Amino acid sequence: MQLPQFDYHAPDTLEKALALKGNLGGMAPVLAGGTDLIVHLKQRLFSPAAVISLRNIKSLRGIETRADAIVIRAATPLAEIARDTSIQEHFPALVKAVNSIGATGIQAFRGTIGGNLCLQPRCILYNQSRFWRTGKGSCHRTGGKDCLALPGSESCHSVCSADTVPVLAAFSGQLTIAGSGGVRQIPVSDFFTGKGESPFKITPDEMVTEIRLPLPWAPASSAYHRLGMRSAVDFPLANAAATAIMQDGKVETFRLVISSAGPAPVVLKEAEALIRGNKPDGAMIDQVRLMARRMAEGVVVENSSISKDYRIKMLGVMTARAVKDVLGFAGPDR
Amino acid sequence: MKKQLLSMTVNGEAVELAVSPNATLLEVLRDQLDYTGVKEGCSEGVCGACTVLLDGNPVRSCLTLALEADGASLITIEGIASEGKLHQIQQAFIDNGAVQCGFCTPGMILSSKALLDRNSDPSDEDIKTALAGNFCRCTGYAKILAAVRSAARDKKGGGC
Repeated sequence: MQLPQFDYHAPDTLEKALALKGNLGGMAPVLAGGTDLIVHLKQRLFSPAAVISLRNIKSLRGIETRADAIVIRAATPLAEIARDTSIQEHFPALVKAVNSIGATGIQAFRGTIGGNLCLQPRCILYNQSRFWRTGKGSCHRTGGKDCLALPGSESCHSVCSADTVPVLAAFSGQLTIAGSGGVRQIPVSDFFTGKGESPFKITPDEMVTEIRLPLPWAPASSAYHRLGMRSAVDFPLANAAATAIMQDGKVETFRLVISSAGPAPVVLKEAEALIRGNKPDGAMIDQVRLMARRMAEGVVVENSSISKDYRIKMLGVMTARAVKDVLGFAGPDR
Repeated sequence: MKKQLLSMTVNGEAVELAVSPNATLLEVLRDQLDYTGVKEGCSEGVCGACTVLLDGNPVRSCLTLALEADGASLITIEGIASEGKLHQIQQAFIDNGAVQCGFCTPGMILSSKALLDRNSDPSDEDIKTALAGNFCRCTGYAKILAAVRSAARDKKGGGC
């Protein structure tokens, strides 16, 4: 498959990249590893005027451990994150998520955390070649005004398919976004619009520059569970991430985030309210599983290679496993 | 869309070319440099037939813009034999019957080389993880696994 034509820029500073982005905006996506962008271009899902490669911008790579947080620059390769000992110690669920992306033997050197965070949401009717798509009508993301998966829908239900997203949200990650208007911070959990046609709260002149993960205030447990067709290469079909800090046998801090349902990850606040402040109880796991299913029923549509019903059930299962892990329950998986 | 200068080292040889921004590394290696051992399988970064080593790391050349390799050192399958002698991993693939149609083989060997260069005593799980991004439709993988195991053993035993 040949790529469409575009100009190529490889600025050596963030300022120069932002200046280009300011001029060209939405017609000039940034290029980190390209494992998502280049596929989109080959499939003619869009044809940019230019790409802005981040390869020469040293300030966008690296992991910094500070007194109260670990800061990961957005274009840091996944392999670097997986082998970082501070991240292994404080955020093991992130290592598991990173090692679930693509085929780590190849992906991890080009793929970046920013690229995974900003992975375009996916739909089986959208992520296809232009030739394949000529057999269907257009949709919200391809110049039309409807959703092929759920006709009559006013926005796109593509699926947030990034392994790191629920984990970064569960760890209360914060993003730094830079643009022509300056620099701002936003929690990961607030970064998503819930609309597949414009999934991120970011303007065309902006880019994510770093992700800040606050260090847990006490020893924490974390878990990430995902369902995939195969043990590598595939996007998650259902996933969930949880973190917990226990003190004196009670759950003091608890976060639960589910993804691979709709365009945005969902913080399961109802489950958090159930568990936070209480002693862990086996009955909570089943309750949380049903809460996850109920949430999924309102969000999941038929836009995947597996059925909506199965995805809803599996979102419940992945959520239950994540909760079971962080609350310290052993026993057979449900 | 102006062409830009690309300078890189391929299989130990310095190369300078004018390439279009939209040229992939796969296209440049095959079409401009005649390294046809780099295969185009799926063209969308799943099958691994296009795997090359970029600064020692396996990457999917079908998804890598050629200009992204500016200043880098590339190794294709053509570059791992030396002085007329096959690389130990190539020999292991032959000796273990790990080649049928051969289309996946360059990618498999390069991914295996990247593994053995950083982990000289890989477990079966390590090998499977390293090769998870290289698909084979012919062999059923068992002999490929055996070939990598035997190459690892030979390397440990002081093979080249």
